[in-house]
Amino acid sequence: MSQKNNNSLTQDLAELDELMAWFEQDDFELEQAIAKFETANKLADSIRQRLTELENKITVLKENFEDK
Amino acid sequence: MDTNPLSVSDALALINQTLEYAYPLIVIEGEVASYKINQNKYVFFDIKDDQATLNCFMMLYQQRTPIEDGMKIRLVASPKLTQWGRFSLTVREIQPIGEGSLKRSLQLLLNKLDKEGLFDPKRKRSLPSMPKRIAVISSTQAAGYADFIKILNRRWGGVEVIVAHTRVQGAQASAQIERALNYLNERAELPEVIAIIRGGGSQDDLSTFNDEPLARAIASSRVPVITGIGHETDTTIADMVADVRATTPSDVAMIIVPDREQVLSGVHSQVSRIAQILARSVTGQKNDISASLSRSLERIENRIEQTRRHFDYQQSVLSQLNPRSALRRGYSLLYNEEGSLVRSVKTGDKIRIETDQQVIRAGVESVTKKQ
Repeated sequence: MSQKNNNSLTQDLAELDELMAWFEQDDFELEQAIAKFETANKLADSIRQRLTELENKITVLKENFEDK
Repeated sequence: MDTNPLSVSDALALINQTLEYAYPLIVIEGEVASYKINQNKYVFFDIKDDQATLNCFMMLYQQRTPIEDGMKIRLVASPKLTQWGRFSLTVREIQPIGEGSLKRSLQLLLNKLDKEGLFDPKRKRSLPSMPKRIAVISSTQAAGYADFIKILNRRWGGVEVIVAHTRVQGAQASAQIERALNYLNERAELPEVIAIIRGGGSQDDLSTFNDEPLARAIASSRVPVITGIGHETDTTIADMVADVRATTPSDVAMIIVPDREQVLSGVHSQVSRIAQILARSVTGQKNDISASLSRSLERIENRIEQTRRHFDYQQSVLSQLNPRSALRRGYSLLYNEEGSLVRSVKTGDKIRIETDQQVIRAGVESVTKKQ
């Protein structure tokens, strides 16, 4: 999980998409599949946590756009 | 009277100073006549009413809205006496007034930009699906801005939102938005999308967004631009030039960021689907294992049966070959004194005869050669 935290949310979502694609293929090895399923679960947890906790950071620029 | 004479130039300067002091800026409404552009830089026209006419001059780049003869306009200008002694108004701003002039001006601008291909759908760029840095140009006091931020925060998180506060109506608004757009395009860390936002307003308020330099700034922005101006029914030139046109400020928020609930539900379905595939695969492989086991058992059983049959056959062959079974059928075995099977004897030899039931010792009385 700690390793996953270095990824951005979009990277995590992309990784989950890749795992999904891997599972959609016709043939796969069960042992590998179980490991990948665990990764998918961890990714989903991490995404869920981030989506719930992340807040937007709003900064109003100090620049004045009036005619100089 | 002071008789110190002034040079012509000094007199001109004095008059211009007096004019500037008395009327630094003057706002006039009237009708445009004799409009012309010289060297693609200088604009000359007259502004008139039923009884009077004034000469006007302005730089082309300051003219934000197209005008033509007969159009009613409001202008902001400084009165000035030129070096040739002609009175002229140096125009800073012009704005068409009245429904007819506004519509005509808008049509002129539309035709011009359309001819240049600025509305071409091929120019439109798509927006990033999950931006990390977005910029907003709006008045932070506007209701539309508050709606945008509310929806943005509800839908998504983790976005760096840079807000350029500008006016969104009035004479200065177009130029301010244009400057903000250029400023955001020059930042070291470019935003991934720029949103121009303004809530509902009158046609006159929204005319800020029917501005030629602003339209050009949007069209030449390095960063894709999305607009959310007014209500659903309002369309401005800024909307037409932008890469994406949202109908309202709230709609902008809904377009530029995904909905976290939807993403979460997508993630949930993906994991469920993976679990389903995995479970199906485990069952499949379990069945495969059972099937292969029973196939092996079947093979082993067949093998056993084959072996048994083969063994039975060998048994029967062997039993037929066994000389003892010949004894049971009534034949006898003859041995000589050395204990070997007899093939030939002579008269007087001692032999041993073995039948199925008995062992007989006998002597050979006579031997006749078989024909």
